[in-house]
Amino acid sequence: MSKESRMKATVNQKLTEMGERERLKELLRAKLTECGWKDQMKAHCKEVIKEKGLEQITVEDLVVEVTPKGRALVPDSVKKELLHRIRTFLSQHGT
Amino acid sequence: IGLACDRGYNPDAVAAMSPAGCPHVSSFKVDNWKQNLRVIYQCFVWSGSAETRKRKAKSCICHMCGAHLNRLHSCLYCVFFACFAKKHIHEHAKSKRHNLAIDLLYGGIYCFMCQDYIYDKDMEQIAKEEQRKAWKMQGMPHYTALVISPRQHSTGEKYSTWEPTKRELELLRHNPKRRRITSNCTIGLRGLINLGNTCFMNCIVQALTHTPLLRDFFLSDRHKCEMQSNSCLVCEMSQLFQEFYSGHRSPHIPFRLLHLVWTHARHLAGYEQQDAHEFLIAALDVLHRHCKDDNGKKANNPNHCNCIIDQIFTGGLQSDVTCQVCHGVSTTIDPFWDISLDLPGSSTPFWPLSPGGDGSALNGESHATGATTLTDCLRRFTRPEHLGSSAKIKCSGCHSYQESTKQLTMKKLPIVACFHLKRFEHSAKLRRKITTYVSFPLELDMTPFMASSKESRMNGQYQLAVDPFNNDNKYSLFAVVNHQGTLESGHYTTFIRQHKDQWFKCDDAIITKASIKDVLDSEG
Repeated sequence: MSKESRMKATVNQKLTEMGERERLKELLRAKLTECGWKDQMKAHCKEVIKEKGLEQITVEDLVVEVTPKGRALVPDSVKKELLHRIRTFLSQHGT
Repeated sequence: IGLACDRGYNPDAVAAMSPAGCPHVSSFKVDNWKQNLRVIYQCFVWSGSAETRKRKAKSCICHMCGAHLNRLHSCLYCVFFACFAKKHIHEHAKSKRHNLAIDLLYGGIYCFMCQDYIYDKDMEQIAKEEQRKAWKMQGMPHYTALVISPRQHSTGEKYSTWEPTKRELELLRHNPKRRRITSNCTIGLRGLINLGNTCFMNCIVQALTHTPLLRDFFLSDRHKCEMQSNSCLVCEMSQLFQEFYSGHRSPHIPFRLLHLVWTHARHLAGYEQQDAHEFLIAALDVLHRHCKDDNGKKANNPNHCNCIIDQIFTGGLQSDVTCQVCHGVSTTIDPFWDISLDLPGSSTPFWPLSPGGDGSALNGESHATGATTLTDCLRRFTRPEHLGSSAKIKCSGCHSYQESTKQLTMKKLPIVACFHLKRFEHSAKLRRKITTYVSFPLELDMTPFMASSKESRMNGQYQLAVDPFNNDNKYSLFAVVNHQGTLESGHYTTFIRQHKDQWFKCDDAIITKASIKDVLDSEG
């Protein structure tokens, strides 16, 4: 594993162990709902389902179709805040 | 047949893919499968305890490439973790013919035969239960504030999407008409007929019906009435919300509400003009009393009431009395529903405050215009006040009467804060209305007025560590009640906020659109 992926793994481990990962997930959920991202994504999913057809659609289809747009639509402020939280957490729990 | 299964896509399986899951789970549902599945959820999906979390952190990596994320799945037939994104779990499924895997992030069950996530009723049930258990253990969630006021209340139970019951499905089918809420929709807005100087009641009712948490409580039928008679004010409130959200555009005639108010708050009865603030407090009090029957906790202890009124409106005001001799501090905390603020120009001395200071800088107000701001009033409210030699307090430290200072700060903030500007002066000498303009912001940060802030100031931390992302003490304006006229004859109107950014003026039966500027320029 490269140095970067090893660091990623360590950070992830720490976050999971201390339960911070779950808290961050909930924070992210709340923020994305607040800013309307969730509704936008829901609408997009509905479009994709209409296109592909309800009987044929699989979760994987949706994931492939929706992920790029989902990633792009996350507001910078949300990214900033998450990053800030993670940094603060890591500095407090010394890794 | 064995070969056909290996091909994966089986049209028969697709047709059978309903809440009954897929036919391929049958080979999994043997022996002690339920318990095994629970263990997997507890240890690797929703790890509730510190121990399971540690184990999850360590062992949940892809057995093929070591990746931690990439949509990790666990095989349901053996101990094998692999990532989905790189298809490592697919390889395992194919080679071992283990056709089921579980998504470690969301707990979904994937069937490699059906090539999709499946929803087996029994497995879904187990998943839900384990998730709830894990949440309870973590004692979580602390939702940070919604931008639209009031702030979200952390309840310790995770929010889960609503699933209709059989009865609810029936009702939905029998009542096919649906109401769509668009951004220019006026649902929830309704005028109120003035029944003879009842604008003091109308203005408060408008504010209450536009309090989001209160609205949600009543529209989701959370009040279960245990009062025998027809005089429950909470039921009437519930009825009022139904009227406001009925879609009727004609003004509502609140005669039943008025009658109930007269019955339960005698001092407000009669046709003369009353004080809206008094009405607010009386209404909250009656609602609180009638609500108490909801919880089964008939305790008369105000500290233990968990009714919706207390949850939304009750805050804690800390009063610290400091002895000037021994510096011992005696602290009491009293519940409050509103914060009544003195204004400059009243006969009580309005301490001249130096411009700037933490309050106004934080709340983005400028002193350039010289106008008094809401934060000025709050700073005055929370300043240490020397009680003077004629009002000595018995100090338990000194065992004698000493001079002292008293200071008020916020110990616990309510979800909805009501600020009352004391414009009506009823002193022995004069009765008058103070019309000084007080500017107030759209967003208010109460941090500088908290008891905890005062403590850090006293501990030498003069620079308030302001966390721009902490929304705990931040409020958004959603209603402004104004009084026009004099003490003897005047009229109340309310500005309320709808759909996050739209403001409306409620003048008894007449509702008009208003701009933010109208709201902020109003007297308050």
